Amino acid sequence: MELTSTLSRDLILQVSSKLGEPDWLRAKRLLAWETFARLPYPTPRTEEWKYTDITEVPFEELSLELPTGQPRAIPQAVQDRLAQAQLSGYAVFVGADLVHVELPEALREQGVILCSLHEAMARHPRLVEENLFRAVNWSDLVGTQQNRPENSKIPALNAALFTHGVFLYIPRNVEFSKPIGVFKYLEGGQLSASRTLIVGDVNSQAVYIEEYISPAKVAPSVNTSSTEIIVGDGAKVRHAHIQLLGQGFYHFHRQRAHLQRDAALNDLVVNMGASLSRAEVQSEMLGPGSSSEMLGLYFTTGLEHVDHYTLQHHVADHAYSDVLYKGAAKDQSRTVYAGLIKVEPGAQKTDAYQTNRNLLLSADARSDSVPQLEIGANDVKCSHGSSTAPVAPEELFYLMSRGLPRHMAQQILVKGHMTDVLTRIPIEPLRQYIESIIEEKVRV
Amino acid sequence: MVNQLEIRNLHARIVDGETILNGVNLIVPKGQIHAIMGPNGAGKSTLGKIIAGDPSYEITKGDILMDGESILEMEADERARKGLFLAFQYPVEVPGVSNANFLRLALQAKQGGEVNMMEFYGKLQKALKTLEWDESILTRYLNDGFSGGEKKRNEIMHMMVLEPTYAIMDETDSGLDIDALKVVAKGVNAMRGPNFGALLITHYQRLLNYIVPDAVHVMIDGRIVTSGGPELALRLEEQGYDWVKELAATAS
Repeated sequence: MELTSTLSRDLILQVSSKLGEPDWLRAKRLLAWETFARLPYPTPRTEEWKYTDITEVPFEELSLELPTGQPRAIPQAVQDRLAQAQLSGYAVFVGADLVHVELPEALREQGVILCSLHEAMARHPRLVEENLFRAVNWSDLVGTQQNRPENSKIPALNAALFTHGVFLYIPRNVEFSKPIGVFKYLEGGQLSASRTLIVGDVNSQAVYIEEYISPAKVAPSVNTSSTEIIVGDGAKVRHAHIQLLGQGFYHFHRQRAHLQRDAALNDLVVNMGASLSRAEVQSEMLGPGSSSEMLGLYFTTGLEHVDHYTLQHHVADHAYSDVLYKGAAKDQSRTVYAGLIKVEPGAQKTDAYQTNRNLLLSADARSDSVPQLEIGANDVKCSHGSSTAPVAPEELFYLMSRGLPRHMAQQILVKGHMTDVLTRIPIEPLRQYIESIIEEKVRV
Repeated sequence: MVNQLEIRNLHARIVDGETILNGVNLIVPKGQIHAIMGPNGAGKSTLGKIIAGDPSYEITKGDILMDGESILEMEADERARKGLFLAFQYPVEVPGVSNANFLRLALQAKQGGEVNMMEFYGKLQKALKTLEWDESILTRYLNDGFSGGEKKRNEIMHMMVLEPTYAIMDETDSGLDIDALKVVAKGVNAMRGPNFGALLITHYQRLLNYIVPDAVHVMIDGRIVTSGGPELALRLEEQGYDWVKELAATAS
C-alpha cells in the first residue's frame, strides 16, 4: 500500500492498519494525534526549552519512515559493533525493519522475550497492552512547576506515529548479566519514530543496551524515540541509550522508568552524535526502597547541540537516586543540562543527588546548566551541584610539556573529566567503545 | 653543533601583564648541572616555564637556543620531543590515565612510533629501583591523589624514562623530607653524563649537598646578577640574599 507522506489523521489510520494493530492501540494513536495537532511546538520561550531552539527542525516536511518488509543485510557499522560488544542476545533494525533478532536458547527457555513490539502485540497481547504508554505517553508532563503543555508535542508525535519498536520482557526471578544489545541503524532523510518497552518482572535482573547509528552525514533527518522501563518489585535493570547518529540528525529521546518496591535501575545515556539532540531521562521512585543511578556522558564538537533533562521523582519513601552527568564541548558547540529532584510530601528518608559538570575545550563552546530541587518532605537528604569550566591551561601545558600533541593532551583531559562516570560503567566492552568515541571526537 | 642550552638576553612578561624577566643570560652546557637560586618572586620558576614553552607568558625580547637552534616558535610538545623536560613545581593531577600509560604515550610521541614494550618496561624498572619505589605507582592515575612527595618523585621518574637532553627542575626539593630528597637526588645523579644538561631551580642550598652543581647562578628581579661555583650556594645560605640585592642595585 502506498501511504501518503504528510502527517495527518489519515496517515495514522493507514499506518495502524498496515501494521495490523489492535483497536485499543489505534484508539490511543488517535488520542495522541489529537494532542499533537492541538499543541504548539516548544520554543525558546518555553522554560524547559530556553536554550534549545527547534524552530528549524523539519518535523513535518519529512516522509515517515515505514517498514519496507524487504530483507536487509546487517550494515557493516552494526557488524563491527556486534563483533566488539560481547552480547548475549541482540536485535538489529535497519530503518523501521527488524532484520535480525537472536536470543540464546537458555534465555528463551526461561521465558525471556526479545522481539519487535508488533510481534509482541500479536503473541503477548496482555503484556503489551498493560505496559505500553504506562511510563511514557502523549500527555505526561515533564515534572516542573513551570511545565507547559507543548512539552508533550514531540512525545505525542512519537505515540501517534511510531512505526516500530522493541519489546523485552524478563520473567519473575530470571536473571542475566551479559547484555542484550539493540542496534538501530538509520539511513537518514526521513522522520523516524520508534518505541522501546522493557518490563522486568518481580526479582528479575537484566542488562540492555540500545545504540543508534547512521552514516556520518545525512540529509536533514528526525529521530524520535520513547523508552519505557518497568522495574518490578526487587527487580534490577541496567539500561544504556547510546546515540551516535550522523550530522544532519535531530534526535529526540524521552525515557521514563517506573521503579517499584526495592527495584533498582542503573541508567546510562550517551549522546555523542547528531546535529541536535535532546534526551529527557526520568525515574519515578514509586516503591519504597527503590534506587536509580542515572549517568550521562556527552561530547559535542563543531556546531553540535545537545540538551539533557533529568527528573528524579521521589514518590515513595526510603528511595535513593543519583544523577551524574558529565560533558565536554569543543569548537562552537553547545551543551545544555537541566535537572530536577522532585520529592513528594510522602517521600520521607529520600536520598537524592544530582551533579552536572561541563568542560569547555574552546572559547566559543558553551554549556548551560540548570539544577533544581523541589522538596515536599522534611526528612530527606538531597544535594545538587553544577559547574562549567574551561580546560585549565596549566593542565594542558603539563601534558604537552611531556611531548604529547595538543589533541592527545585534550583527549586525556576529556577522559579524565569523564572518568568518574566511565568507571561506573561495569560493562567493559561498552566502556572501551565509549572511550574510543571520545578519542575520535577530540581528534577530528 | 653547539652543545648547550642558551638563554640569550631574555625579556618576558605574563601575556598582557606584568614583566617578569629583564634580560636573562645563561648557558647550560650539555654534560653539566647548574643551579639557579634567588629570593621569592625573582622569576626563577617563570624562567623554567618559559623555557618549556608555557603559553601564558610572552617573550618580548631575546632568544632561547637548544644546541644552537632557536626554540621560541615551538609549542611545548615540540620542545619536549626535541629533548627538553620540565619537572613541575606543582604537577597536575589527571584522573583517567594511568601513570604508566601516560608515560608510554609520551615516549611514543617522542620516538614518533610504537614503543618497544620490553624496553619500556626495562626503563620503568630501572627508574623505580633508583627511586626506591614499587610498581603500584605505575597503575595509579597520573598524580591523582599522590602526596606532595610522591608527585615530586614521579616527576623525576618521568625524566628518567623520557631521557631528555636538557632538564629543568623547578623546586623539586621543596616540601621533601630528607629521605625523599636523597632519593630524588639519586635519580638526578643517575642521569648525569655527557649527554645530559640540567638546570635546578631551588630556594635552598640543602639540595646542592646531594646534587653538586657545576655552577650556581643567582637571580634577582628577573636577571642573573652573579654566578659562581658551589661555594656561592653556601655563602647564600649563610648570608642571605641582601648582599646580592645590593650588587644588583649597583649594577643597574
